[in-house]
Amino acid sequence: MDRKREAGIPKKKGSSILKKALAIDNSRCTGCRNCELACSVEHTQTFNPRRSRIQVLKKEKRDIIMPVVCLQCENPLCQEACPTGAIHRNEEEILTVNPNSCIGCGNCVNACIYGGIAIDPITLKAIKCDLCGGNPACVEACEYDAISVVTLDGDGLRERAQGVGDLAKKYGLVREEA
Amino acid sequence: MGFRYKGYAGKYLDVDLDKGKVHIKDMEEEWALLYLGGTGISSKILWDRTGPETHPLSPDNILIVGTGPLTGSMFSPSGRFMFSGMSPQTGIWAESHSGGFFGPEMKYAGFDFIILNGRSPNPVYLYLNDGDAELKDASDMWGRETDTTTDMIREQHKDPSIETATIGPAGENGVLYGCIIVDYYRAAGRTGLGTVMGSKNVKAIAASGALGLEAHDMDAYLEANEEELAKVNDELWESSIASLRKYGTTDLVAMINEIGRLPTKNHWTGFYEDADDIGPEVIANKYRINQEACYGCGIGCKYVFRVKEGRFSRGPTGGPEYETLMAFGSNCLNNDIESIFHLGTRCDLLGMDTISAGKTIGFAMELWEKGIIDEEDTGGLDLSWGNVDAMIQLVEMIASREGFGELLSKGTRQAAKAIGNDAWKYAVHVKGLEASGQDPRAHQSVGLTYATNVRGADHLRSLSSLEELGYPEVINARFGKEKFEEISKITSPVHKGEVIKDIEDLYALVDSAVICKYGTMWPPIYYFDTFTNVIPPLTGMSQWGDPEFVRTAAERICHLRRAYNHRLGITREQETLPRRLLKEPMPTGPAKGGLPDLDYMLDEYYELRGCDKETGLPKKDKLRELGLEYVYHDLARRGMMQSY
Repeated sequence: MDRKREAGIPKKKGSSILKKALAIDNSRCTGCRNCELACSVEHTQTFNPRRSRIQVLKKEKRDIIMPVVCLQCENPLCQEACPTGAIHRNEEEILTVNPNSCIGCGNCVNACIYGGIAIDPITLKAIKCDLCGGNPACVEACEYDAISVVTLDGDGLRERAQGVGDLAKKYGLVREEA
Repeated sequence: MGFRYKGYAGKYLDVDLDKGKVHIKDMEEEWALLYLGGTGISSKILWDRTGPETHPLSPDNILIVGTGPLTGSMFSPSGRFMFSGMSPQTGIWAESHSGGFFGPEMKYAGFDFIILNGRSPNPVYLYLNDGDAELKDASDMWGRETDTTTDMIREQHKDPSIETATIGPAGENGVLYGCIIVDYYRAAGRTGLGTVMGSKNVKAIAASGALGLEAHDMDAYLEANEEELAKVNDELWESSIASLRKYGTTDLVAMINEIGRLPTKNHWTGFYEDADDIGPEVIANKYRINQEACYGCGIGCKYVFRVKEGRFSRGPTGGPEYETLMAFGSNCLNNDIESIFHLGTRCDLLGMDTISAGKTIGFAMELWEKGIIDEEDTGGLDLSWGNVDAMIQLVEMIASREGFGELLSKGTRQAAKAIGNDAWKYAVHVKGLEASGQDPRAHQSVGLTYATNVRGADHLRSLSSLEELGYPEVINARFGKEKFEEISKITSPVHKGEVIKDIEDLYALVDSAVICKYGTMWPPIYYFDTFTNVIPPLTGMSQWGDPEFVRTAAERICHLRRAYNHRLGITREQETLPRRLLKEPMPTGPAKGGLPDLDYMLDEYYELRGCDKETGLPKKDKLRELGLEYVYHDLARRGMMQSY
């Protein structure tokens, strides 16, 4: 757990920090969805995976298990698509939805090509990963060490690219030798 | 408003299939407090609604789908739920549990329990969504295999996240061991509840929900949960957990063969020379392509396999468990692992219990060997040991009840009766349920487990791994150092009554909470204190913080289930073992010469359970102590209680 915390975001406000994001090592994910549960508890105080900001997509017949979460894009399509300017970067450079401005139109959901933002079925407003302000609950809850926090610099980007590479191989986007 | 206790959805469904109506009802407070959930609450409902006058495949039988407070609550492993009813295979108490994702989804959809009553005039499936429930037409799904049914439901609702529990052709056609398949390859396998579902014209239950669950005190619960999870990650269990993650239950093929209790050749012996061919290493090295976990589980014992080429090639599929490897492998002297993958998958798609199917085929193979049946009986099939082609044909014939498959679709007890002669000597079942993959001649306490088990020759209600796999610290802590030596002797019957009674009580709570046998049976991490730790902060039932209350609840559930069977005529006479496991000493292998001392163990068990040793029936004082006066009065009215 400590290893994960070390990579976490400094909690002190105003500190000079690099942008962070979640990286998922898909080869470690077992599809248990504990990340969803932990996320929903953190944000809603209930066990409710439909309100989670990380979602595990599954297609068992093809052995596809794919957690999707906000990638904290450089040029966020969700932000561009939002008609009320509800999506912005907070002081820690994390893309955040302001629930007061959000009208729940879903434009952001349509715009995001990674499935990183969703509409909360109870509040009917957009929700997305906010990295829990430093110690993401999903990272803590993953018993398989499949999720970690990376900085969006050279090493972090490499780590994330590695995860995507494994995915591409698995789903046949890159051909594996038979 | 709302249900008083948290961790529950707070509602249950009473479905009137005859009229096509669903009734949404508030959960009963008393059910939760006294019986917790799952098995416990089911035993109360079944006791109240069915009895000696009920025929398992008539509309009078009910099918219960049950969850527990821990289902979907982030407790690891808690992605489980259960089915219950009267078994068409045994005619007595039936329950069958499954992992996966359906149980939690059903709770998020708003329901703790579903009770299916009557029989629908047409094929239907039950769809649960955000507190609503409706019966929908399933005519076009009838006759389909389980994976197609799941696909069709997901497509129909344009919702790939719908979780399903569905039956296949076997359950529709009346095979007595039809099962219920959850998602694609998880099964509520035993006791034929899929066939009960089929008899009600219900093809599937589907759930999707965003209602979520609350905790009574979330912070306290998460802390308790963390404490329990820390126990799993203790280095004491490191190798067991690592093994489960790498091999799942396939590891048991090697471990169990080593002690000579791997059912081989229809339980003739417990040692299989070719066990390596169907064991953990070959599967892990050659076929396993991924690890999966049920909902919220940190153990992750499920493996996904793939056969790339050849006759049995297929895409990614959930791998067979130990029991399937045993039933279609060693039990039938079949060391062709790819054929076992195929047979297991076909059973999943047809919706048929792999243990009963494999065991019934093994039984037929022995009758063939002994000359009790011949080609005329089998319609030309050659049932020599390990004849893969015949096994493949038989599985299909059983599911459709064609030819010789019709006879085997009734299981070993009824098939033996129909065949006559000495066939009964080779029917390895207790109370009508084919034995699972254990042999009491190598492991004494299994004899007691099988004999007293409420659903027949089944390991999951009270199998002890303590002496089998050797957990000295646990034995000392639970039973005291002075008993350590005898308890840890796998071939000694001494103190086994105490061990099995204790574990049966524990599993009654495990099956009511509802959580997995991993973490409770193997390795034996969670114990009664787990429940006192997590149930009160989750539910708000402060009584569950009292160890005595918890023990009493466990005993109450055990006695109620037993009484259900007593009312159907089960007494000590039926709490026995098949001839082979009781009278034929183990002929080969490490356990050679072994035989269980069943009477010795039964006496001790009945004594500790609070039952009369002669009859196995409960004593009046015991029922009073457990608050089961209504059981006493009912049994007394039927002349089944004596004054002790």
